[in-house]
Amino acid sequence: MLTIGTLANIKHILQKELFNSSGERLLSVVTVTKTFKKKDKRACYLCVLTTAPPVPVVTLCLVKQYEQRDSEYKRKRSWQLDEIKWIDGRNEQFETHEFDIQLEKLYKWYALNLHERQNFLAVLNRQIQKYVRGPRAEFRNVPQAWLSEKSPEKIAAGREGRAGNVTQKPTNSDDEEDEEEAQEFTALTDKEANELGKLFSECDFAIKDAEQFIEQLSKELHDLDGANMQSVLASEQKVLKMMEHIDNAITEADKFETRLDTYEDILGHVKETMEKIGGKNAMIEIANNNNIKLMKELNKVISQLDLPHSHQQALEDPDLKTAAGRKAAIAAAQCLQQAMNSDIDPALLRLEAVQDQRKRFEKWKQKFSTTVSRFLNNLFIHLGNEIGDMPLTTTELVLPNHSNVHRELTPYTELMHWSKAMDRKTYDGLMRVYTASLSKIYDRDIRNFFNLAKLQVSDKLRNSREDLDMSTSSRKSAVSTIPYGTLGINRDQWGPGVDSADRVRFDALLEKVLAELEPIALQEQLFCINFFQMDVISPTTKNTQTTLDMEKDKGVDMSQSFNASTASPTSASTDAGGVPQKRIDRQINEEVRKLMMGLFSCLEPELVSFIQSFERVDSFYSLYVLVRLTQHVMSAQDTHSFLSMTFASALVQVKRNFDRFMQQQLQSIKEAKLPKRSKAILPYVENFENFAQTAEGIFRKSDRRTDMEKWYLQLVNAIFEGISIHSQEHPKTPSQVVRMENYHHMYSLLAQLKVPGLDALKKEAKIRYNDALKAYVTQYFGRPLEKLNQFFEGVQQKVAQGVKETEISYQMAFSKQELRKVISQYPAREVKKGLENLYKKVEKHLCEEENLLQVVWHAMQEEFIAQYNYLEERIQKCYAGAMINLEFNIQDILAFFSDIARSH
Amino acid sequence: MSKKPTAGPALHKVIMVGSGGVGKSALTLQFMYDEFVEDYEPTKADSYRKKVVLDGEEVQIDILDTAGQEDYAAIRDNYFRSGEGFLCVFSITDDESFQATQEFREQILRVKNDESIPFLLVGNKCDLNDKRKVPLNECQVRAQQWSVPYVETSAKTRENVDKVFFDLMREIRSRKTEDSKATSGRAKDRCKKRRLKCTLL
Repeated sequence: MLTIGTLANIKHILQKELFNSSGERLLSVVTVTKTFKKKDKRACYLCVLTTAPPVPVVTLCLVKQYEQRDSEYKRKRSWQLDEIKWIDGRNEQFETHEFDIQLEKLYKWYALNLHERQNFLAVLNRQIQKYVRGPRAEFRNVPQAWLSEKSPEKIAAGREGRAGNVTQKPTNSDDEEDEEEAQEFTALTDKEANELGKLFSECDFAIKDAEQFIEQLSKELHDLDGANMQSVLASEQKVLKMMEHIDNAITEADKFETRLDTYEDILGHVKETMEKIGGKNAMIEIANNNNIKLMKELNKVISQLDLPHSHQQALEDPDLKTAAGRKAAIAAAQCLQQAMNSDIDPALLRLEAVQDQRKRFEKWKQKFSTTVSRFLNNLFIHLGNEIGDMPLTTTELVLPNHSNVHRELTPYTELMHWSKAMDRKTYDGLMRVYTASLSKIYDRDIRNFFNLAKLQVSDKLRNSREDLDMSTSSRKSAVSTIPYGTLGINRDQWGPGVDSADRVRFDALLEKVLAELEPIALQEQLFCINFFQMDVISPTTKNTQTTLDMEKDKGVDMSQSFNASTASPTSASTDAGGVPQKRIDRQINEEVRKLMMGLFSCLEPELVSFIQSFERVDSFYSLYVLVRLTQHVMSAQDTHSFLSMTFASALVQVKRNFDRFMQQQLQSIKEAKLPKRSKAILPYVENFENFAQTAEGIFRKSDRRTDMEKWYLQLVNAIFEGISIHSQEHPKTPSQVVRMENYHHMYSLLAQLKVPGLDALKKEAKIRYNDALKAYVTQYFGRPLEKLNQFFEGVQQKVAQGVKETEISYQMAFSKQELRKVISQYPAREVKKGLENLYKKVEKHLCEEENLLQVVWHAMQEEFIAQYNYLEERIQKCYAGAMINLEFNIQDILAFFSDIARSH
Repeated sequence: MSKKPTAGPALHKVIMVGSGGVGKSALTLQFMYDEFVEDYEPTKADSYRKKVVLDGEEVQIDILDTAGQEDYAAIRDNYFRSGEGFLCVFSITDDESFQATQEFREQILRVKNDESIPFLLVGNKCDLNDKRKVPLNECQVRAQQWSVPYVETSAKTRENVDKVFFDLMREIRSRKTEDSKATSGRAKDRCKKRRLKCTLL
């Protein structure tokens, strides 16, 4: 059981831990457990709290102690006093531990300590009495004494007979009102207690006799005053003496100071001298260092600028013809180049000796360069002439290979590179000479090559022409100007053309030409790039300036020329530094292309003229040339190379021709005129088959398919339009028949072609064919039973006007007699004759080619039977019971049909 | 280069007959354009022409694709009359279509008045063998009775499609050469056959 001490302790702890921070004060606390929770015997604390005055707010509060940490408390809930409905002590006896509080619900508590419980209830009661304005909580089963004015502690203390160590204050008031304040005690600090104790021990007597104490104190004060006065008077003499001493001391100090000054003077001189000596030493050291550096620098310059005698000799009189001499010359030249581009401080360049050496270098360089230039110049021209003298092959279609020239020149590659770096003018000159002498050869080769190729074209043409002339004989007096294959013109009016076998040969020829051109051009390009070092970017001007030239544009050019002269081709990309790779490539390409253009100047015009030679022979040439060239342009890896560009520009022309050709075809369809004695199939419909098969043969697997398909669409649309227009103009054949047969033909063609893009038009053709068939059968077929039809049309009109079908026979014009009269005009014999005539007429209209007679006749038979059925049905409806029938029945009709069938 | 339109290649006229839906049009389209159309749309009458190489000789084939259903059989007389050879098609999955071939055969013989007219009995849809309704030997027996070849085809898989057309063309060709050899002899034959026919009716 908890004692009051522990209760106070708890109270103290809670006050400190929880409520001090919020400025609240703990009035009473009771340690409780919830009675209904048997297991959870963990104690909580019910507290009565008040805030500080002047407006104290008293609350009831439930505090819990954390299980994990014993020292920590937490406020669980709090209620205002007026929230308390009633409090039940259960039993008025003191030993009761339980009590209930009705708040928002009933709380049942078990107080661990009876005193706490009592105190708590009493304090709670008092606070309620004091602060709750409205209906106050009722206290049940609580001893009346607790609710009276008596302090519960006092009662408890009295009853237990033990002094509650509640407060330490000596003046513990019993006053009810002050009790709260009394509980708020302040402990004396240790220091204060000590001071107080000391005071008490010293002035032990004072407490007994205060007056005597005062007297003693004033007497002491008086004594002290007197002593003070005396000492003040005595000190005056001493002060005077003191003054004198001080004066003496001052004069002594002055003297000492002047002495110190002189010493300092002397020392100052010494310091100056010392500093001067130190400075001199440093200077000597610097001079020494500089001398060493200068020595090093000079050594470097001399070693860099030194050109061994053997090299000098090699430069003076190079022997470029022999391999050994070449090797020496190249080594010397490279040495010279290195020396001339040595990394020397610009300031050193001003040295007379350096400049002299530079001039000497310059002389050597000039001399060597001229020698090289002359030598290579001669070599180029010689090689050019040598090949030029060689006879050309005149039979085989081959472009000669000039790798022997390249082999001849390869040993001089390094000299060329040197000359590029060191003497741009010479280099440019050499390049010009090379281009001039080689382009002569290539010109000749290419012209010859293309002439041969063209000859082969016309050869083949001549052969086929002869065949043509033989077969068509002299019937054609004037040569027709209409190109072969023109869609809108009848076949027999076309000019001469070539057949597909020739076309295949032409295509093969073109392929051979293109295939021949490619390796030659590529080989030459590769050689040029290597020989003229064109894959290294170089500034176009002032390249010959070396690092030893210091006068002008020094800073700008130095790095560039250095790069250009020392960089090997392989490291070109890394050396070029800031310039982006793409631009370098483009520039290189540009230069290479320029050179190639010079070498192969006649290639493009010759190629174009060769391609044009096809045009004269075969109007379809643009189709396969387009496909073939596209293949070559697309398969080229280097799209910017000279050859690719040349092919591409030729391709552009061919595409233009292709489009023009198609445009002409389109135009010819629109302008087509009907031949007088033609049958139903229009010329362009007939010609389209051959055209489309040719085009498909060329384009089937090509990338260019889409180009052709675009034109297919336009052409087929134009053909459809043309059919509609021309069907009206046909002299003999009815327009329905023209449409029917032509659309039937087109449908069949398109179905065979299987061009995916034309699928919609194929369906369209079928629809148009069916429409035309229906139109022909219903309109042209007319009505072999014309008058009967007219009669019943009249009947239908009457019916529409409101006459009942059964009363039609009472109309004058439509009486049974009238009907019999009309029917009698159509005896079976007549009907049969009519049908036979119709069959003959249809047979005449239709052309053999499309074989539509059976289809049309089938439709007409059905149509006739439908008409017969209609008439019979009308008669049965309108003249029922009159026993009127047509003079022939369905069996007769079928017999007629069978007879017609048998008679053909 | 020079093709005179008048002296064109030999022309063989083939007629497709058989009940509705057995695949006459499908066979024709497969032969003509190498395509197979799944959707069924009844034919009225369609005419096709194609150039083919028959045993090294360029010939033209005219195909008349006809309607399976017809209100009056007599309507067919005219095109039967125009035909030089017949592909009589039925579906092996449809017994009725097989029975109908008898009628077609009789009409053709009546119209052509010729027992030995080039004629092939064609069992189509052989890709659907698991749905077969007409036993193979029954077909073969009938073909034997008529003394005509029997071929099973599939317009869907193109099996035997070329074969039936080319076989028929060969028969037509050999008939034509035979005809041109002895026209007088034929006339007698025909009379004989006709008589035979009459007794049948």
